[in-house]
Amino acid sequence: MASAQDLKRQIQSLDNTSKMTQALQTISGIKLRKAENQLNKARPYADNVDEMMRDIANRAQSGSPLLVGREINRVAICTVTSDRGLAGGFNAQLLKRTMQLRGEQDAETVHVVTGRKAEAFFRFRGIGYEEAFTGFSDSPSYKDAQRVGRYLTRLFEDEEADEVYLIYNRYQSALVQRPVVTRLLPVAPEDNGEDDGGNEEGGQNIPLEFIPGPEVLLQRLVPRYVETLLFRAFLESAAGEHGARMTAMKSASDSANEMSEDLTRQMNRMRQAQITQEILEIVGGAEALAG
Amino acid sequence: MSEDRNQQQEGRQLFCRVITPEQVIFDGEVDMVVARIADGDIGVLVDHQPVVSTVEIGAVRINQDDERHVYATSDGFFKVSENLVQILVEEAVTPGEIDVDAAESRVEQAENELSEVSDEDEDSDRQQKEIERRRTIGENLVRVAREYGEG
Repeated sequence: MASAQDLKRQIQSLDNTSKMTQALQTISGIKLRKAENQLNKARPYADNVDEMMRDIANRAQSGSPLLVGREINRVAICTVTSDRGLAGGFNAQLLKRTMQLRGEQDAETVHVVTGRKAEAFFRFRGIGYEEAFTGFSDSPSYKDAQRVGRYLTRLFEDEEADEVYLIYNRYQSALVQRPVVTRLLPVAPEDNGEDDGGNEEGGQNIPLEFIPGPEVLLQRLVPRYVETLLFRAFLESAAGEHGARMTAMKSASDSANEMSEDLTRQMNRMRQAQITQEILEIVGGAEALAG
Repeated sequence: MSEDRNQQQEGRQLFCRVITPEQVIFDGEVDMVVARIADGDIGVLVDHQPVVSTVEIGAVRINQDDERHVYATSDGFFKVSENLVQILVEEAVTPGEIDVDAAESRVEQAENELSEVSDEDEDSDRQQKEIERRRTIGENLVRVAREYGEG
């Protein structure tokens, strides 16, 4: 059985841990607010690019492979994870989903990863990946999205991949992040249009003039569209990461506190038992002397 | 359509938004917007016909009451529809915000990189285009700053 000394040491260590996790929780909370703010500010651009994509895709008659696709021999999967851990199941659930997606493909798969967690995962499993982008999961900038976007668009253009999927954690709240899979290329704007279908009908009545033609615009818009989707995914993932870390740290602090309380109680009981024992001994000794 | 327009002409207003991926730069009621699109400069007044086009690297000018706002922009997209002008660009800065030295070093750096691109690289075309684009953006910043900045 542990001595009072041991218990004391354990309690001390738990208290230190809980102090640390509480600090991390606070920091994550601040970062989460910043990320949420960034996400909101990025929305107008993303929504407009989305709308423009739909306008143009509706009008472009071409069988452009960017829209229609081609025979699928190779599929690229881009997995967006965080650089750091301590975020509960945030990365694990995403990587699990990635492996599931990989298993579902009939075609050969190639992987592109962002975030050190995915990089480490693939390396550990001995699964090859084409390219890893790291160092920005915490607070991504558009430049980062551009870098990854260019790489992915090139994979598609060079026919090194015939479909490009993006998998990331969508931010719903600090408690809930859901892995989602979207197809980046070929572009499938109708997927995003479902929620505001009414809006789209209104838009079709206006005869838009396209300068130059829709096909040329499409060529230029698609890379931007891919970058925009990536940027949004990075921002959602960043917010999710901070949210998940905050939640994970909160439960870590809670259980550390709970354990510390249990141990304190145990220690007190032990001390009380010892005191009772001593009193009994003294009383016993005194009686023996008196007798 | 013209009947519809006449009926509603009173009180009609033009709005303009300049948006970058990271934030909304300008959002407001305006009198006129001038921008360079795919086939040349376009001036947009109220009730302009709907157009979707590209924005070329250059300057966007917005007249609002007595004020004039100028933004040096990278390339991007342009849309007018229902009296709303939307300009979607990666970068948009006012002449006052432009750091001329930084812009000049951007140009210089792009030029250095251009001379380093080897023709043997299978990717050289794409690289070259990308670097040239960066150079043009830098040059545009310098030009806009000189033309509209300070004085």
